[in-house]
Amino acid sequence: MDALINKRIKQVLKGDQSAFSDIVSHYQHSLYQVCYRMLGNKQEAEDIAQEAFVRAYMNLHTFDQKRKFSTWLYRIATNLCIDRLRKKKPDYYLDAEVAGTEGLNMYSQIATDAPLPEEELEKMELQERVQYEISRMPEKYRVVVVLKYIEELSLQEISEVLEMPLGTVKTRLHRGREALRKQLNSL
Amino acid sequence: MNKCPQYIVEYMHEYLDGDIHREQELELKHHLQMCSNCQQHMHELSDAIAFIKSTTHISAPPTLQANVMQRLPKQKQHVGIQK
Repeated sequence: MDALINKRIKQVLKGDQSAFSDIVSHYQHSLYQVCYRMLGNKQEAEDIAQEAFVRAYMNLHTFDQKRKFSTWLYRIATNLCIDRLRKKKPDYYLDAEVAGTEGLNMYSQIATDAPLPEEELEKMELQERVQYEISRMPEKYRVVVVLKYIEELSLQEISEVLEMPLGTVKTRLHRGREALRKQLNSL
Repeated sequence: MNKCPQYIVEYMHEYLDGDIHREQELELKHHLQMCSNCQQHMHELSDAIAFIKSTTHISAPPTLQANVMQRLPKQKQHVGIQK
């Protein structure tokens, strides 16, 4: 597969725009899925996935073909998702600790939005509930958990996608699992 | 109340990452057999992972590919110009 993708990349770089269509076709579902899980909204996910492909096209000459194309593409998409999530947040003191909580700051508060009451949660379908719980996780843990457990990337690949040391990826994955565990057991 | 050493939780995560040394894995297993609190913690972590993995894979909307192609800048040069 990688050989075919690299062939298409070369064609695009030589000016054959239509060859890009195969690249989009091959990666569209995984890219859309990452965006959807990160953003929790279909319209936004489509928007950002499109944007990621367009940016990949525009910057294709900077892609090192000795590397894995999917990693590069995931990087573009996750960066766009994180930017989008940050823009949605109000810009007051996000790092300030919330009174009466231990180590909780506004980032974690916003990620949770307003937690739903128990009876609302019980009415949710499983799939809806999973997405809800994903969207309650702080984004720096969310992205690692999504790449690991939904996209099934290895820790090494995640470290390349996020341009982050392997140790940091592990720490975030550990914290992400703990965050999720607490969310699920808080009822 | 006896407090379990903090590294036991670390070992749980290393185990879940498939990245734990043999001796530490044995120590973890030994501890879990003795300590129901940690056993519970470990179960909850595994359940949390299973929960996330229960997501069904979703597909991109059928319009995505065409929309991307349409958004690409119009080509200026002719195909086939080579150095």
